[in-house]
Amino acid sequence: MLQIIQQRHKCIGCNYCVEAAPDRWRMSKADGKCSLVDATNNKGFWRVQVGEHERAANEVAASVCPVSIIQIR
Amino acid sequence: MMQTNPIELLAPAGNFESLMAAIQGGANAIYFGVEQLNMRARASVNFCLNDIETVANLCQQQGVRSYLTLNTIVYDHDLAIAKKMMDRAKRAGINAVIAADVAVIGYAHSIGLSVHISTQCNISNIETVRFYAPFADVMVLARELSLRQMTAICVAIQKEQIKGPSGNLVQIEVFAHGALCMAVSGKCYISLHTHNASANRGACIQNCRHQYKLTDVEEGTELAIDNEYIMSAKDLCTLPFLDELLQTGVSVLKIEGRGKEALYVNTVTRVYAQAIASYKAGKFDSEQVATWMQQLQSVYNRGFWSGYYLGQKVGEWANTAGSIAATKKLYLGKGHHYYPKNKIAEFAIEAYPLQVGDRVLITGPITGVVETTIQSLHVNNEGAQPIAQKGDLCAFPVTVPIRKQDKLYKLMNQNVLEG
Repeated sequence: MLQIIQQRHKCIGCNYCVEAAPDRWRMSKADGKCSLVDATNNKGFWRVQVGEHERAANEVAASVCPVSIIQIR
Repeated sequence: MMQTNPIELLAPAGNFESLMAAIQGGANAIYFGVEQLNMRARASVNFCLNDIETVANLCQQQGVRSYLTLNTIVYDHDLAIAKKMMDRAKRAGINAVIAADVAVIGYAHSIGLSVHISTQCNISNIETVRFYAPFADVMVLARELSLRQMTAICVAIQKEQIKGPSGNLVQIEVFAHGALCMAVSGKCYISLHTHNASANRGACIQNCRHQYKLTDVEEGTELAIDNEYIMSAKDLCTLPFLDELLQTGVSVLKIEGRGKEALYVNTVTRVYAQAIASYKAGKFDSEQVATWMQQLQSVYNRGFWSGYYLGQKVGEWANTAGSIAATKKLYLGKGHHYYPKNKIAEFAIEAYPLQVGDRVLITGPITGVVETTIQSLHVNNEGAQPIAQKGDLCAFPVTVPIRKQDKLYKLMNQNVLEG
């Protein structure tokens, strides 16, 4: 298992994470920022637990984020 | 051509502090960005959607025009939020949107929100002006044109009577002061290629400002270069030839710097406002320019040059990574109380000591920017003292009210800090 964390309010809506891991990230048409699928919000930190099979794609997503708001744990 | 039309001085507002600083400095208009769809998306402090009405009201009260910058590249997922921003701006009474993407230009036009074409569109000729004229009353030229080229465009607008949607002649805006980019009017991809951070989405990491070495990879030899800041342009400053710039027929002078501090915005705006007034009164001369230049040099700058306006063959490059401003500020503490009757401000000192004779700066979102020199100092309950230390509560005369959220800084000359 791994945890993906996103500081969503800092997102600039570049779409790179969607390109890297399209099953886990989705651009929101409501505010133009990216949403972490199935995540829950705790004080601005959106978190979701996912299986190891998602690690590779989401590590790419974290590494390409221009504002470094994605963490994988 | 002698400029007789009113000149609009347009200043940057990256936050409420800078907004007030711009107004106090004498700006006729301000521009600001909201959330992520502007060229300063990376900035730590940005206005949010709910600030649009407050900005509009503040500006209307002060008789200053307000423009919303929405000039990034726009993707499908941005359309809804971009439209929402423009709807709110229109309702709130924001005077125009500064746009580059055709989707933004088209939507603003459709709802009757005035459009200013951003420098991101690199307008460099009269045909492009004609192309955008059905949509926009104001157009910002590319920053790489010469005064001669600007004049030709302004003359042609007049001669051919190129009018915007308002029915008035299209107005031309140019950058008068601030950072220049090594790429054509901001169309830069370095930050995108190296760090995935697109300048055209407001995420530039400014790696052009770093030092670089030049190596011949085949032979492994490093080439000697005079200045390792090979991509960092100095800052644009048109003040020494402001008269010539205004004679081109441009109507709006823009100051760059939504990422800059309030003191910078205030100083630069004030200097240019005075220079424009002086030009209009026929009193613009080199003596005044020398005084104003000293003031401009006191705040953030990478060294000045005249940009491409005077037709230089090659750019001038900075030789430091950051600012060479003559004045630095040192954080001392925050606002505590204001006694309006005696006009005394009380501050809590949290860092460095404050002494009688110190030049200080007070900034805040309502206060804007206030500069004063400490004539007398009352510390805690001990009466008049020459110095206030960390942990002290000190009071000194300030002519305008200060607030709890205000910050107090000591202003120092750069050489004092280094020495």
